[in-house]
Order: sequence, then structure tokens, then C-alpha cells
Amino acid sequence: MSQPMIRARKLTKSYLRGGETLTVLDGLDLDMDEGRFYALMGPSGSGKTTLLNLIGGLDQADEGDLVVAGADLAALDSSALARWRAANVGFVFQGFNLIPVLTAQENVELPLSLSPLSRKERREHARYALKLVGLDGREDHRPGQLSGGQEQRVAIARAIASDPKVLLADEPTGDLDRKSADQVLELLLRLNVEFKKTILMVTHDPHAAAYAGFTVHLDKGQLGCIETNPPRAVAARV
Amino acid sequence: MFNFKLVRRYLGKHLVRSLLTVASLMVALFLLCLLQAIVVSLDAGVRGAKRDRLIVQSAVSLFVDLPLNYQQKIGAVDGVESICKWQYFGGHFQDDEKGYFAQFATDFDTLFACYPEIEVVEGSKEALLADRTACIVGKSLADRLGWKLGDSIPLEATFFAKPDGSAWDFKLAATYRPTSTAMDGGMMFFRWDYLEETVKATRGETPGTGTYVFRTRAGADQAPIAATVEALFENGPQRVSCSTEAAFQAQFVSMYGNLPFFVSAIGGGVLVAIVLACINTMLMAFREQLHDAGILKAVGFTDGSVATLMLAQSLVLCGIGGFAGIGLAKLTEPVMQLMLTRFGVPYEVPAETVALASALTISIGLVAGVVPAWRARQLRVVEALRSVE
Ligand SMILES: Nc1ncnc2c1ncn2[C@@H]1O[C@H](COP(=O)(O)OP(=O)(O)OP(=O)(O)O)[C@@H](O)[C@H]1O
Ligand SMILES: [Mg+2]
Repeated sequence: MSQPMIRARKLTKSYLRGGETLTVLDGLDLDMDEGRFYALMGPSGSGKTTLLNLIGGLDQADEGDLVVAGADLAALDSSALARWRAANVGFVFQGFNLIPVLTAQENVELPLSLSPLSRKERREHARYALKLVGLDGREDHRPGQLSGGQEQRVAIARAIASDPKVLLADEPTGDLDRKSADQVLELLLRLNVEFKKTILMVTHDPHAAAYAGFTVHLDKGQLGCIETNPPRAVAARV
Repeated sequence: MFNFKLVRRYLGKHLVRSLLTVASLMVALFLLCLLQAIVVSLDAGVRGAKRDRLIVQSAVSLFVDLPLNYQQKIGAVDGVESICKWQYFGGHFQDDEKGYFAQFATDFDTLFACYPEIEVVEGSKEALLADRTACIVGKSLADRLGWKLGDSIPLEATFFAKPDGSAWDFKLAATYRPTSTAMDGGMMFFRWDYLEETVKATRGETPGTGTYVFRTRAGADQAPIAATVEALFENGPQRVSCSTEAAFQAQFVSMYGNLPFFVSAIGGGVLVAIVLACINTMLMAFREQLHDAGILKAVGFTDGSVATLMLAQSLVLCGIGGFAGIGLAKLTEPVMQLMLTRFGVPYEVPAETVALASALTISIGLVAGVVPAWRARQLRVVEALRSVE
């Protein structure tokens, strides 16, 4: 078996709060294979966002090993980590996190501006990504002129624009109505099935989790075993 | 990887604030250039003074005249080359509002010998010698008052008022332009013999002269020459003081009191105020962009490039305002020249002022941008993303 896409060993992260140490991740082990779609569930405050941020290289663990897409994250300094993020992970947040002063097209081009692509190539890639999420024709809209569901799809387009191996989504449907949420989930599923993206999606919603091939629970700083979701759920929706 | 579009969009997002900041910088830098230019020009007479010229005046006061036979005696001193008279006339042309300017009685041949920087641009030296009432005025002065060659210029006299109160008449025979900015380009010179004969005829007395100016032989040591001249008249009838042109000019600058210092202090105050305002603007911008900075970092922008984005906004904002102010100062040069030459102050925004103002503009941009840039650099993604927009 080849190296898993995400591999954590004895991962520990604690926060200092009011003089007390709050251990959020307590020696957590994790193996996630390439090309799979995982749903990460757990009670509020259990550390799901914390774990996602560590995997995405937005924050550093206190202890333990973490290898994502072949890189030992603890060994990278801040700018190396930034470059690694640009090339290897795409983020989708609950609050969309688009840059309000940029158009949809420009938001999607943002990570591409860090790549060696030419201006023309960047524009084409961004257009393609927007088309993929069903937003062709909305290229010149600012985030403020889009609905929540559309904003989230722009965010997904941005996350996939530089063709990263890993997509990390933190409650991507948390702020959306059912219909928009379903569109976003279909999209993630399609990215997994068609484009073989490894996806880790935090969610509270079992309906959303059912889109993923696997579900894993985080509680008390430890990860439960990885459950395989009924395949018909996946098959039925593709 | 630097994103200029973002700089533009952020500045454009708060257009009114950006424009106000630009405007305040523009006004401040304009004022700084103006004040600095005035200080420089007040100082120009001193710094631009010809090394080889010495000035003789009464040891008592500038307002005490010297006898006419001094000219020959001073001229005979070893090392003195050419010598000319300068007698202040103190006349008024119509209403002073429109045109105060200084007039001096002198002998043209000796004046030109002592002042090679007086360049005749219209008319000729011959024309000046041909007519007893002939005068030469600065080209800028003639342009300002709309005088043409051959025009008659009536002046109301003060010290040299005629008994019947009638005006003195002068004929414009030439105009000059100084080849050095240290020399006032808005003066009027007329013939000594005209003054002397008229005063003699109307008052029955021979006028004296306020000052003598002489050039020393090239390479001559001036201190002993000045000492010899002063010693000549040690026992009267009028004791004299002989000083370099720079020292002579300096006494006029000190007549403005501590104006240069005062002006610099105001300039410094303006500068501090504007720097504080710019820092405030940039800190505000930083707070607004905190969340975005987190997004940029999450997407893969490095700490350095996010910091550069902040700094660039500050530099662009301050740069536009500052350079607009400097440009305005340069652009209004002719107008200011016109307004100030009537006070006898030559005006020009010198290259060194432009350079200093440019350096200040960039420094303000850096100072205002460095704190937000540093904070943007240190910003942790996780915290930035948690912050609400
Ligand atoms: N920067 C921080 N400083 C202090 N405590 C923090 C910090 N970030 C997170 N925590 C705490 O760590 C715990 C885990 O937070 P985290 O956001 O990872 O939980 P979560 O599982 O994503 O919760 P939710 O489902 O509500 O999003 C919480 O108790 C939170 O208060
Ligand atoms: Mg969370």
C-alpha cells in the first residue's frame, strides 16, 4: 500500500486559556488515503477545526508527526509552508472567505497568481474552474453580488484552481440552505469521483456526511475508527 | 506575485478616505516646498553672494550717506578693481499694492563692471548712456507692470522729494535678467548724474551715496583690503565699515528676525501632523483588511507578500499625495514668483527642495506603512480567519 495522503502520529495540540492548558488533540493518529472523501464529525469544541488547520498547514502542532501530500509539515518554515499550501491544499470555509474587493474571477485567480502560469493561462484556468462549479457568466460579480451558495461555489473554484491534491472543507454547508448545500455537496462529490481529489470535510450534518465515502469521529482529542458509508449513498448521487 | 490590483482595489474601496489622505498630503507637501523655497531664497542672497565683492557703508548706519570723494579714495586702494555707488532712492510707483520695487541710483559703466551677473535682455547699455533719465529694470518687473522699452515711468520720491512735489520721470531704456538666482531680478537702476543734478537744482545740495560696492582683484586677500579701506576714513569725515557681500546680505536676512527658524518649525509641525494622520489611516486600513490578510495567507501568500501589500498601499497613497503637492509647488512657481518679487524676494523651488520633499514623501509612506505591514506579517492565519470582517 502506498503512503497515505494524510498521515498523523501522536499529534498533540493544546491552547493556553486563562492560565489553563486545554489539550484539544491528544496524541491523535490518523491515516487518510489518496482519492477518498472523508467526513469528520464530532461535538462542538472537540477540535475538528483545529485538526483541519493543522493538516492544512495553517497552524503548527505542539508535538507529533504530520505528513500531508508527502511533506513533513513540522519541518517547513512559514514561507515554505505558504508555498506548500498554495500548491497542495485548497480550503473551503463555512464563511466562504472570499476577498470582497475582488470579482469571482479574480478570487479564483488569486492562488494561481502564486503559480508560474502566464496571465492568459491563469485566466483560462479560473474560467474553467468557475464553469466547473456552474458559475460561468458570473465571473465579474463581486462576492457581495452573489448568493451564499454561489459564494461557496466560487470558494470551491478557488480551492481547486491550482489543482491541489487535498481539499479541506470546514462545515462548507453550515451557512447554506438545503438546496444550496446539496449543490455544494454534489460538487465536492464530483471533485472526488471525477478528479480524484482527497477531501476532508468537517460537518455536523449526517445528511452531508452521507455524501462522503467515509466518516470519522473526533472526540476527547482522539479519533474514532473510520467508518465506511453505505456505498449506495455514493452511487445513488453520482 | 505582488498583486497591484489588490492595492488599487483596497484604496478604491474607501475612495473618499483615500482622496482625503491624498489631499492632505498634497497640501502639506505643497506648503513644505513653498516654505522651504522661501527660506532658501531669503538665504540665497547670502549664499550666492559673490566672493570677490566688498561693500562699504557708514559705520553708524546704512541710512547715513557717504561723501562722493570716497569713491576715488577707495578705488585707489591696492587690490580694488572696480567700484560703484548704490544709492537707495525709495520711490513709489502709483499704488504700492501693484508694484513696490527697489530703485537705486548708480553709474552704469561701473555697475556692470561690478555686477557681471546683470545680463541686459532688452535695449542696450548704449541706450542707458544716451539719455540722462534712462533706467534699467528687471525683466520680471517690467513684465509684471506691463512696461515696454521707451515707456515713461513716473516715481513719487520720498527722501528725494522735489519742493513742488512733482514726480520724477524715468525712461525705460533696457531690461535685465540676473544670471544668478542670488540677485534680485526685480530692481530698477538709474543714472547717478540724473539724481545728482536734480537734487542740486531743486535743493541746492549734493547728495551722498548710501553704499559703495567694489570688486577685488582675483585671488586678492580681502581682509587686509577691508581693513585698509576702514582705516582710510578712521578720522572722518564719515567712518565706514567694509564687509563682504555675504555679511552685508546677512544683515537683511536677520532683519526678518528668526524667520527661517520659524518657518522650519511650522514645516516640522505640519510634517508631524501629516505623519500621524497617515499612520492612523493605515492602521484603519489594516484593521479592515485583517480578515483578508488571513485569507491571502491561507491561499498561499507568504508573510512577506502580505506585508508588502500593506506597505505598498501606504506608499502609493502617500506617493500620489506627496508628489502631487511637489508638482503643484513647481507648477505655481511663476505665480509665486510674481507675488513675491514685489517684496524683493526672488522665488524658485530649487532642485534640492524637490529632492528633499520627494525623500520626505517616501519616508512618510514608509513610516505610515511599516507598523501595519509588520503586524500583517506577524498575523497568524488562524486568528485572522477567526476575526469578523
Ligand atoms: N486560538 C485558540 N485559543 C484558545 N482556545 C482555542 C483556540 N482555538 C480553539 N480553541 C479551543 O479549542 C477547542 C477546539 O476548538 P475547535 O474550533 O477546533 O472546535 P471544533 O470542533 O471545530 O468546534 P465547532 O464544531 O464548534 O466548530 C475549543 O474549546 C476552542 O474553544
Ligand atoms: Mg470548527
